[in-house]
Amino acid sequence: MSAALRTGGVLLALSVILMVLGNFVTPGFLSFTQVSTQLKISAFLGLFALCQTFVLLAGGEGVDLSVGAIGSLGGIVGAALLQGKDSAFLAVAALMGTAGAAVGTISGLGVALLGVPPLVMTLAIASIVNGGLIIFESIAQPPIAASPFLAQLAGRATWGAPNIVLLWIVVGLAALWFLSATAWGRKIRSTGANARVALLSGTHITLVKVSVYAISGLVAALSGFCLIGYVGAAFLGLGDAYVLPSIVVAVIGGMSLAGGRGSYVGVAAAAILITVLTSLLATIQIGEAGRQIIFGCILIGFLLLNRRLERAA
Amino acid sequence: MLVVVFAMNVALQPDLITRASLSSNVATFAPTVLVSAAQAIIVLMGELDLSVGAGVSMLNCALSTLPELAGWGLVPTLAATFGIALAAGATNGALVAYLGLPSLIVTFATSAIWFGVALAFRPQPGGSIDPALNELYAASIAGVPIALILILIAIGLWSILQRHPLGRQLLAVGGNPTAAFHAGIDVRWVKFRGHCIAWCFVYLGSLAISAQTLSGDSRLGLPYTLTSVAAVVIGGISLAGGRGSVWGAAFGAIALGLVANVIYFAGIPSIYQEFFKGIVICIALSFTFILGRRTIE
Repeated sequence: MSAALRTGGVLLALSVILMVLGNFVTPGFLSFTQVSTQLKISAFLGLFALCQTFVLLAGGEGVDLSVGAIGSLGGIVGAALLQGKDSAFLAVAALMGTAGAAVGTISGLGVALLGVPPLVMTLAIASIVNGGLIIFESIAQPPIAASPFLAQLAGRATWGAPNIVLLWIVVGLAALWFLSATAWGRKIRSTGANARVALLSGTHITLVKVSVYAISGLVAALSGFCLIGYVGAAFLGLGDAYVLPSIVVAVIGGMSLAGGRGSYVGVAAAAILITVLTSLLATIQIGEAGRQIIFGCILIGFLLLNRRLERAA
Repeated sequence: MLVVVFAMNVALQPDLITRASLSSNVATFAPTVLVSAAQAIIVLMGELDLSVGAGVSMLNCALSTLPELAGWGLVPTLAATFGIALAAGATNGALVAYLGLPSLIVTFATSAIWFGVALAFRPQPGGSIDPALNELYAASIAGVPIALILILIAIGLWSILQRHPLGRQLLAVGGNPTAAFHAGIDVRWVKFRGHCIAWCFVYLGSLAISAQTLSGDSRLGLPYTLTSVAAVVIGGISLAGGRGSVWGAAFGAIALGLVANVIYFAGIPSIYQEFFKGIVICIALSFTFILGRRTIE
């Protein structure tokens, strides 16, 4: 845990340094509205990275490339069912969560029972879900607007604190508790650390593996659902922009790609760091080309730094 | 699987077997086949390259920009672009092999860099590539289209490589790096060279697609990343490394291309295409894995 706190601390410190630097480049970068906007964007990235945290932790080369598609599913179908009204909010949210978990379960079964590599399984599922959404959008032409309560939840603030950030903190703490204090959470970690040992000590590793993909699907669908409250309307490809960044954030946050190691504390800090970095690069007056190149170089720098931290621990 | 898809193709597109149609199909598939071959080499080493798509874009933009930027003819441009391809492969290789960073994340980072370079060359799609490249690509030697020759060269190169110690070392390193190390193989040097060789294939793939579009577009190559991974897996190459061959990836790429053909010629409305493609890939995957399991057991 102390290693996780240190990784998180270093990453958070870097984010603060970047923000202060940003304030020199563009005055107003440290203003209250700017910071809270950054945190809101981080919250969504952090929630999608939570999906990867579960899947990575259970090991077996686990990654989930379907989080974007499932997020789009939660957003598009969610908006279609809400019809811009709050009357059925809880029912729709519950339904979207269930749908996401169901899709995740299919991926999990493919991975755990058929032995398909997670990368490929979740990619195939993503293309089916995205394909299904294209059909749904063009045939049903459903309403796409978020309901007032959803907009309140995802876009507004309570006493200055953005609601979605509060929600992120609650979900994050719940995930931390689940992974460290419950028996199932510890089973996920031990399966990732060494699946054979876990199996021999009586863990039902197939069930554990299916469960992480189900949880990932659940979180992804609900994050996508909240996302329409933030952007205002659902559209095809809503979640696509989060797929690879969510993995990158999880790895920079100290999750081991081999499984079994890492904590969500570091991942959450990494989500903030990457968001600040992206928006800092956006405010600097250089072209898209330069921004991409700098982003890539800095990412490699973080990976090197990360290894340093890991070795030191 | 390939036979079934091919039969469906013939049924839906009766003139497929004519020479003109076959060679135009080969010309369309060649870029995917070549990029998938590159991905196959990397996957055989137990790594993954998410930057091949952005790499194809970068090379395509270089091909379309260098002539007007430096006033070069076709040959110097081709040579310079080859240099860029090797440099990109060497960069990936150094980061993965010598710095030991996870290839999944590192190649995501380098793909941002390649995409940035592509944008620097060509912020908006456009420019032009010497039409001689297209004539060359569409030509045929003794009745065999150049595109097919390009694929044959790629497969020939792999066959030579397989007989060469490096080819076996690639497989050994992918299958079990520790064992390879103890057997006296310089694992890092092998991986580094493997990446450079793979990027020669990316270069060939980029030439093949550029010869067809004859212009530069920084987004042109992006879909190749995931297609090449899918082709590799359908081709029966283990993502854990060490098992499979470049042949498999070539077949996988052709199968994917034929699936797209079937969907197109069956007159399925465009909104259903993505969905059916996903379903077909899933079915192909289950076949691969259920059959693969049986042979292992």
